[in-house]
Amino acid sequence: MNRKTAALAFAGASLFAITAAQAAEITVWCWDPNFNVAIMKEAGEIYAKTHPDFKLNVVDFAKVDLEQKLQTGLASGVADGMPDIVLIEDYGAQKYLQSFPDSFAPLSDKVDYSGFAPYKVALATLDDKVYSMPFDSGVTGFYYRKDLLSQAGFQPADLQDLTWDKYIEIAKVVEEKTGKKMLAYDPNDAGLTRIIMQSAGGWYFDKDGNLSIEGNTALKAALEVIQKIQTSKIFRPAAGWADWVGAFTGGEVASVTTGVWITGTVKSQPEQSGNWGIAPIPKLEIEGATHYSNLGGSSWYVLSASAAKDEAIDFLNEIYAKDVDFYQKILVDRGAVGSLLAAREGEAYKSSDPFFGGEPIWQTFSDWLSKVPSVNYGTFTNEVDSVVAAHQPELANGTSVDDVIKAIDEQAQTLVQ
Amino acid sequence: MTSYGLKQRFSSVVVYAFLGVMAFLSIFPFLWMVIGATNTTSDIIKGKMSFGESLLLNATTFFTQVNAPLIFWNSAKITIIATVLTLLISSLAGYGFEIFASRFREKLYTLMLLTLMIPFAALMIPLFMLMGKLGLINTHIAVVLPTVASAFIIFYFRQSTKAFPHELRDAARVDGLKEWQIFFLIYMPVMRSTYAAAFIIVFMTVWNSYLWPLVVLQSNDTKTITLVISSLGSAYYPDYGAVMIGTVLATIPTLFVFFAMQRQFVEGMLGSVK
Repeated sequence: MNRKTAALAFAGASLFAITAAQAAEITVWCWDPNFNVAIMKEAGEIYAKTHPDFKLNVVDFAKVDLEQKLQTGLASGVADGMPDIVLIEDYGAQKYLQSFPDSFAPLSDKVDYSGFAPYKVALATLDDKVYSMPFDSGVTGFYYRKDLLSQAGFQPADLQDLTWDKYIEIAKVVEEKTGKKMLAYDPNDAGLTRIIMQSAGGWYFDKDGNLSIEGNTALKAALEVIQKIQTSKIFRPAAGWADWVGAFTGGEVASVTTGVWITGTVKSQPEQSGNWGIAPIPKLEIEGATHYSNLGGSSWYVLSASAAKDEAIDFLNEIYAKDVDFYQKILVDRGAVGSLLAAREGEAYKSSDPFFGGEPIWQTFSDWLSKVPSVNYGTFTNEVDSVVAAHQPELANGTSVDDVIKAIDEQAQTLVQ
Repeated sequence: MTSYGLKQRFSSVVVYAFLGVMAFLSIFPFLWMVIGATNTTSDIIKGKMSFGESLLLNATTFFTQVNAPLIFWNSAKITIIATVLTLLISSLAGYGFEIFASRFREKLYTLMLLTLMIPFAALMIPLFMLMGKLGLINTHIAVVLPTVASAFIIFYFRQSTKAFPHELRDAARVDGLKEWQIFFLIYMPVMRSTYAAAFIIVFMTVWNSYLWPLVVLQSNDTKTITLVISSLGSAYYPDYGAVMIGTVLATIPTLFVFFAMQRQFVEGMLGSVK
């Protein structure tokens, strides 16, 4: 019996192909086949033109999957099969840098960071060293339906310098005149809260990375806006991401305020061409408030255990930090807005888009990109964010902002300890 | 009598209504998946519940983005080998636990059952380190090995073996069969419905397994279908149509196995509670 089992097992084992990592190849882990993966492959092809020996192997996983793998790999200390370059979402950057010191290679000696949007550099800085190659930006904009807003009596010029209070007033008029809600909003998602908070230079953590909930003026002001939006009923409730997207692509609401990466989705409805416009997001009325913010975005990191570390860094530096033409290509092909400010000098960035009534939207976004306030995303952004999201619905039934902040603070304190 | 009949009729209405709701709940996601495979992403998001015309387009997207033959071969290879090995090893263990008495048998058995309570997430990092030491990271062997001695399947076989007639074994012994011959020539054929049920359970578990293959497989050419579908669905604007094609294709083998062995499965499940 044992012999038979062994024979079967052996027959099975011989069917397996053992794939060992090849040293001469740069392996990259990232998510999103049509975006990050495609863009990285494009970068690899450009670099290979001047470096014929260069071979790039891009492996795609879902974002949560990649984080799971990275976490397991780094925690177990097994360097085997780990990539040379990995994409990390900006919100999680400090968590990885601080939890796994020395696992990532500092790039500040090789890369000139002065050309990048400052907030993208700040979020990957630890102890005066910068670890990331800044990649796509989530610079935010207020996308609105020109047709609906003009029906309600508002022209593009009226929308360029809004405050959130003014925004809510406009929303009421829009509903009165057009019957459409101003925005789709999911009370269980804190994305809008984060946008508003960062626009005033605030975050769940202070500049030193300590939890900052009570006494955080930006967070308080943001939650006050969220409460007004909820109690004034100017939103169409959205249940989850797909429903939220469906609301504005389906013409049910008059605007959407989110990261620039939504442009492709907005444009997925050709029949709405010419009806959309963009404006800076509304602003808070507190000190440090701006019209600029960010939602999401990610950056490339080089693992210090990589056998091809120097080559990986050179590759990233040559393409992502210097090649303006590359940024034109990924903007046109993939709708990707990078963080290299010089990219705006290229043709694609200067072009105007008929979908947005011929506005040069990329120049505009590029302007805003350079002005996004820098914040410290800390080590537990995603954890604290889920606490905030859980408490947001309470704002609708009249619980005071102070009470909600207190509840968030208590829960968050136990999480980050 | 009339009131009794009414009562009975009423209760059967309640039962069928309940069963109807449950049947709908189980069928709906499947129906939604099949309909989704024929619609564009924006229609899927809008919640369109009728068949569309994008089946071909979705299929083209799926097959250009995914090296489907290789990925399905990976999944099939892992699943078949893991299923065969799991059935062999775990049924042997279950049989042994029931048939051969020893001083430590029950203690050992309890210890083994306790491992069922350890969540896999807790085992993952040590297991990953182990595979790293063995040099098996990014191989399909690393996916198969941890599943072959399955505490649950051992438990299942031990329970079923209680129904295996001792007389058969005694008779076989008298006829001069060795222990391994009894197992392969008498036990296995007699217990085939138990094997069929276990086959379905293991096949589905391995085919759908996600977390461990995810952690241990590192490159595009070793990935299984579940990982590929997950990666397709993770995007700023995912192509849900292509994802649905993937899920439909990934469901077919399990459906096929289940329908082919349904009768034995039911028999096997009944057998285990005798």
